Amino acid sequence: MNVRYWLLALATCTALAGSAQAEDTFKIGSSVGLTGYAAVIDRAWRDGLAVAADALNEKGGILGKKIEVITEDNKSQPQDAVVGYRKMISSDQVSLFDSGCVSAGNFAAAAFVMQAKLPMYLCSILPQRDKEQEWAFSFLAPPKFEIEARYRYIKEKTDIRKVGILYDPTPYALMMKGLGEQLAKDFGLEVVAQETYKPDDADMTVQLGRINAAGGGAVIKIGQGGSTVTAAKNIKQLGLDKMLLLSSNDDGSIFQQAGQVLGDRFFFVAPPVQLPKQLKPGPAKDAVDAFLKYWKPKYPDRDPANSARAWDSMMVLAKAAEIAKSTDGTALRDATQKVPSYVGAYATFNFSEKQHVGITENPFLIGKFATGELVVAE
Amino acid sequence: MPSLVEFLQSIVNGVGVGLIYGLVGIGFCVIYNASGIVNFAQGVFVMLGGMVCETLLSQLGIPLIVAVVLTIPLVAISGIVMELAIVRPMMHRGATLFAIILATLAAQIMIERITLLTFGDRPRTYHEFTTGGPLKIGDVAIGYQLFWILGCGALLVLLLWLFFTRTRTGRALRACSQNREAAQLLGIPVARMMLIAFALSAALGAIAGILVTPTQYTAYNVGTPFGVNGFIAAIIGGFGRAGGALAGGLLLGVLQALAIVALGAGFKNVAALSFLLVVLLFFPNGLFAGFGKSAKAH
Repeated sequence: MNVRYWLLALATCTALAGSAQAEDTFKIGSSVGLTGYAAVIDRAWRDGLAVAADALNEKGGILGKKIEVITEDNKSQPQDAVVGYRKMISSDQVSLFDSGCVSAGNFAAAAFVMQAKLPMYLCSILPQRDKEQEWAFSFLAPPKFEIEARYRYIKEKTDIRKVGILYDPTPYALMMKGLGEQLAKDFGLEVVAQETYKPDDADMTVQLGRINAAGGGAVIKIGQGGSTVTAAKNIKQLGLDKMLLLSSNDDGSIFQQAGQVLGDRFFFVAPPVQLPKQLKPGPAKDAVDAFLKYWKPKYPDRDPANSARAWDSMMVLAKAAEIAKSTDGTALRDATQKVPSYVGAYATFNFSEKQHVGITENPFLIGKFATGELVVAE
Repeated sequence: MPSLVEFLQSIVNGVGVGLIYGLVGIGFCVIYNASGIVNFAQGVFVMLGGMVCETLLSQLGIPLIVAVVLTIPLVAISGIVMELAIVRPMMHRGATLFAIILATLAAQIMIERITLLTFGDRPRTYHEFTTGGPLKIGDVAIGYQLFWILGCGALLVLLLWLFFTRTRTGRALRACSQNREAAQLLGIPVARMMLIAFALSAALGAIAGILVTPTQYTAYNVGTPFGVNGFIAAIIGGFGRAGGALAGGLLLGVLQALAIVALGAGFKNVAALSFLLVVLLFFPNGLFAGFGKSAKAH
């Protein structure tokens, strides 16, 4: 009898302690592709969230509650994302999602996340249905910004007027390719060849040779990962001594390796945080410095770009919670729409009731690899 | 309509990639002949070859030749570990070949994850063995690394031929491939032969990885496509026939390159797999085993 009494008392105490802890914690769910094609970006996203949570927790958390980020690996697959989202809603009872770049996974979960009345902060593009978009906020720059930054550079800094597009077959890359075709005329450029590749291709010389044969003087590469290094090496192997390669935004290590191969013929799209030494004093530099103060000690050798975006999303969330004075999902959604223009480490975010894609001004610079580091291409 | 230069250029590049597939295919054959197992972890040896060599070169600053000489035995040891830790215990416990083959697939995933945790997810590469180039013949460009791939590939084929025909160990491996039980009755240490087969196969994968990485990049997940294409190469050539695997790899590499020229990159694998289906339909034992013969029971 005595033993039963003590066990009951212990269980009651544990339950009460757990309940008190839950009330003191602000749980944020994050569906990220820690393996699979999105691994590089989504690991950075996860780590950016963790660093931001640490920084905010140091200052007392959000509304006095300690932030706890719960991550579920979706393996870059929508099916796994759905399972993870459901678990975080039912078991973990998160207040909001701040998820990675697997757009298909975020799309697949958007309907029931909306029904649960939980906002989704996303590294990816917005879900496609209007109702779902009311609950989602994208921290991704509109794809046209990356294209425009490269076209502008070619127009203003080179004599090249014919370009080729080299793209992978993902939906996002296809969308960018379409924009590349549309926007070329605005910059006085002509797209003379469009070639596709697969991210695991060991060789792209055929595609690059065709762009060259069509008169393309520059390759607009759309797609991320090591394929950029392969493309740079293939350009060199083909002896295309005048061809430029302009890469999508990516991890700095990729830029460094491709830059080592092609030298001053390799350019890339970069947010200011990837080129911090070039920043002039002002709010943007302050935001970058605030982020790097926490990022660099923990990850001195890692590229900060995608983590900076995750950091910014958490800072926007902190501001939304201040406005909402609540961690209720609906209140946070409404408050996010009222957050005034926020100058972040990656870009400036302007959310409103009608504007759920936060980046409205092109933040991108064109960078190159010179004297052993990534610098702004003048 | 693609130009003649495009076709010639694609053939040149297809030969380079195809030779790598061929080396991976030979790796499949060596293990299959010694044990009857299809080692689906073959692709990770290619990845490990590139990763270890890059680490020795870039992180530790070791000269290229030393890095290469160290990388090959290091990766070969990974093959030995796989045989000792996974394949041999399963065989001793009477596991079916299917179960062992599945275990090699699990080993591939495990090695990839260990590599990811150890080396990180950042793609890596290193410089071509000979700087400069390419060599231009008309409008067709041939990168210097391709000569290294061709030269080393030819040398390896010669060495393998000498090994299998002129050495006792090589002959013992061939005896195992023909009939393992009879070989054991004749006093050939079959278990040791399997160990040698895994080490040799891993070393071949490592050499392929060392050779191909300067033309592209390596990362924890690059092994799978090489493994799949090496497997296809081995089947096209007639599974178990090392020469056939090499020829199958060359054919596959050229075919994929031509498919990109004629149909686009999206059809590269469609063309390769369609070709594989045709080969299996008319040559069940592979192209080098004769027309219409039924599959040999193993």
